[in-house]
Amino acid sequence: MIDEEKKKEILEKLKRAVINYDEDGARDAAKEALEAGLDPAEAIFNGLVSGMEEVGRLFERQEYFVPELLMCADALYAGLDILKPHMKKLDLGIKGTVVIGTVEGDVHDIGKNIVKMMFDVAGFTVYDLGRDVPLDRFVEEQLRTDADLVCLSAMMTTTMVGMKKVIDEIKKRNPKAKIMIGGAPVSHDIAEKWGADGYAKDASNALKEAINMISALKKLKEDAEAKAVSE
Amino acid sequence: MSKHRVIFQPSGRRGEVQSGTTLLDAARQLGVDIESICGGKGTCGKCKVRIEEGYFEKDALESRMSHLSPLLDVERKFIKPEDGPNIRLACKAEIYGDVKIFVPEKSRAGKQVVRKAARELSIPVNPAVKKYFVEFEPPTLHDLTEGDAERLFRKLKEDYGLSGLQIDYPVLKELQDIMRRGEWKITVSVWMNREIIKVEPGFVEASYGIAVDIGTTTVVGYLCDLNTGKVINTESMMNPQVPYGEDVMSRITYAMTNPEGLKIMQKAIIDGLNEIIEKVSADLRVDGRDGGHAIVDMTVVFNTAMHHIFLGFNPEYIGRSPFIPAVQHSLNIKARDLGIKINPSSYIHVLPIEAGFVGADNVGVLIAEEPYNMDEIVLIIDIGTNGELLLGNKKKVCSTSCATGPAFEGAQIKFGMRAAPGAIEKVRIDPVTKEPEYRVIGKADWHTHIEKIDAKGICGSGIIDAVAEIFKAGIIDKTGRFNMNLNTPRIRRGTDGMPEYVIAWANETSIGMDITITQSDVRAVQLAKAALYAGAKLLMKRMGIERVDKVILAGAFGSYIDKESALTLGMFPDCDINNVYAVGNAAGDGARMALLNVSKRQEADEKARWVEFVEIAVEPEFQKEFMQAMHIPHMKDPFPNLKSLLQDRAYSVEIK
Repeated sequence: MIDEEKKKEILEKLKRAVINYDEDGARDAAKEALEAGLDPAEAIFNGLVSGMEEVGRLFERQEYFVPELLMCADALYAGLDILKPHMKKLDLGIKGTVVIGTVEGDVHDIGKNIVKMMFDVAGFTVYDLGRDVPLDRFVEEQLRTDADLVCLSAMMTTTMVGMKKVIDEIKKRNPKAKIMIGGAPVSHDIAEKWGADGYAKDASNALKEAINMISALKKLKEDAEAKAVSE
Repeated sequence: MSKHRVIFQPSGRRGEVQSGTTLLDAARQLGVDIESICGGKGTCGKCKVRIEEGYFEKDALESRMSHLSPLLDVERKFIKPEDGPNIRLACKAEIYGDVKIFVPEKSRAGKQVVRKAARELSIPVNPAVKKYFVEFEPPTLHDLTEGDAERLFRKLKEDYGLSGLQIDYPVLKELQDIMRRGEWKITVSVWMNREIIKVEPGFVEASYGIAVDIGTTTVVGYLCDLNTGKVINTESMMNPQVPYGEDVMSRITYAMTNPEGLKIMQKAIIDGLNEIIEKVSADLRVDGRDGGHAIVDMTVVFNTAMHHIFLGFNPEYIGRSPFIPAVQHSLNIKARDLGIKINPSSYIHVLPIEAGFVGADNVGVLIAEEPYNMDEIVLIIDIGTNGELLLGNKKKVCSTSCATGPAFEGAQIKFGMRAAPGAIEKVRIDPVTKEPEYRVIGKADWHTHIEKIDAKGICGSGIIDAVAEIFKAGIIDKTGRFNMNLNTPRIRRGTDGMPEYVIAWANETSIGMDITITQSDVRAVQLAKAALYAGAKLLMKRMGIERVDKVILAGAFGSYIDKESALTLGMFPDCDINNVYAVGNAAGDGARMALLNVSKRQEADEKARWVEFVEIAVEPEFQKEFMQAMHIPHMKDPFPNLKSLLQDRAYSVEIK
């Protein structure tokens, strides 16, 4: 069993590597964690993901901007690639399946890619439909995969109007599915008017939302563990 | 008390105001200047504004006349039928719901400075419409073999070698009277040596044409003398479509979501253009006819969306991938078919479109700057509401379009405004003391915050200067993050807790507030400039070149951008500052060239097809390039020219 001090030190290293967008540092710390016998799930959630949460705060204070965030995410991935194969499947109580894509007529997909990445990190099963996706495909794919969440992205006002059709159709065919919309022209009012369950203004906000989501997952994980212990 | 959302057009100022606030007070709170000579007593009638009714998708705002207090008798006194519908006096109408308000030109206190002045062109004059003087023997009873028209055709062939001509029907109808009124001496206007489009009695030497540039934000018309090639008169206005959407995408959406949307916007631009024509040609009135009739030729450039709306084509399909326009080749359309009030039989020459979003305006830039005749590699950046790039030389030229967004035009910037009196247009910051000096449009000298100078906001060129200068002075680092450890009251946290730099203290301004450049403003500029840089970089990669020899900044405000500031920000790849040129409204220059020399039209048709369009948004490396270009000047690419330039000037910032 690894001693508390060593554990704290490694977790801190993982966290700092993400904040300082240090890919090599993240890799080294991840290897060190495995060698020292640290639980991979703990290394991920209390090390890498904690770092990303701090990055989210820095972003919110506008000290970090999109490039820094993406570099942090790269560092997080570097560590994750090493730790993930060793992680046992955790039952978080939710399935976590997402269908994501940029709507028909739109080829801008940076925002969508960022959000997709964060879902990946959080352990979701992601069905990425790509860009310029025919509206019907979102509906079909949701039904086929029984996804919990459908994420629609649009960068242009002209293509954004297509989202409403998808929302209506999915809500009709499967009222349980949650829908999140995002992109530069999207606003809180539009999300509300069209009946979307959530929205993200742009890639930056989407990232923030995604980080919030991971934090929520982390909480779920802790709850699940607490439950496991008490049983 | 409840609050309501208010948007003023064309300035684009917006915000929330208390229920019951008058439109005039709301305008003042939001920094919009509305003429009010009587000071809101309702006695001068100068503050007329128009309410834009409808639901505006982009703003998610439902604007209604019924959201205002009822119309008062004192307003009825001033509101005339010719003002059009939905007019109120700003000083009397109170706000009780969300509204979008258009402030007409004459009600605006601070007149917009439209920076689209024409520069001298040096091309041979060879217009599409030429005038020929014809003198006939009066017909007699001994000569019954030809009618008036045949007589004219015969003379044109004998005297000028013109054959196979046609005559436009309405012109034919006038011919008999004009021949006799001119006592068998007439002047004939012939288009492309093909068609007679005008006949005038007697000898008329003067010949006029108009070149038009319809921008998303600004419309400008240059009246030219077709004999000398000189610009006689220039008129411009805000694009009257602005109330229906500030950018092309929201206008396309307006056309898609409102049944009459396309018609409304087409009428708005044609009415606006007729207003410009009336103004530029006021001195050309002949025989009680509108001066516009003296204009025998017209060329027009615009982006693809403005093109479609002007011509009444459905813009929906250019608003979405794969962005297919209705037509790409150039067009010649009778003025009367579009309702343009020049000589009705004249043709309006619409320059061709390159591809999708790279429109006739960029073809204008192309034929004005002629990169296809150059040996060195040139990068041409046309900065407007969208950014269009051309890169190459005589071997090959590539083009692309970048979504820069409106940050360079002052939108999305806390104290951003368009170029109008009161706008800070240039900024310098002392790298040691961190104290600024700035220049305001309408004032002669640099201002060093000694006296009140009535600054109102910052326009595009000022924003670029401000961000470049705070970087050079070490106030922000290359990632755009503020250094909060500098000991000056000018660097502080705003009411929202975000870092900002004070350019002008409240007592130097006319808005009673400190004018600042905020962390969010810096971020908006980073996004906009990264889009341009990434576009240029991907074109360079496509062409396999490492560096550019020459950079040309075009666009309405291109000539006002400080070259060093633009290079410092990394708006384009590193280049010797002496090889960076600002050329002003090159699209408008291209329209004028096509007006003055018919071979330029042919050149436009050929080169528009020859240029290779690249859709950068789908290039696999776009995301990476875009991210790296957000740093100032760049995350990875070296800037040796900038480095030596700043070292010479004793700046201590670190450049790779």
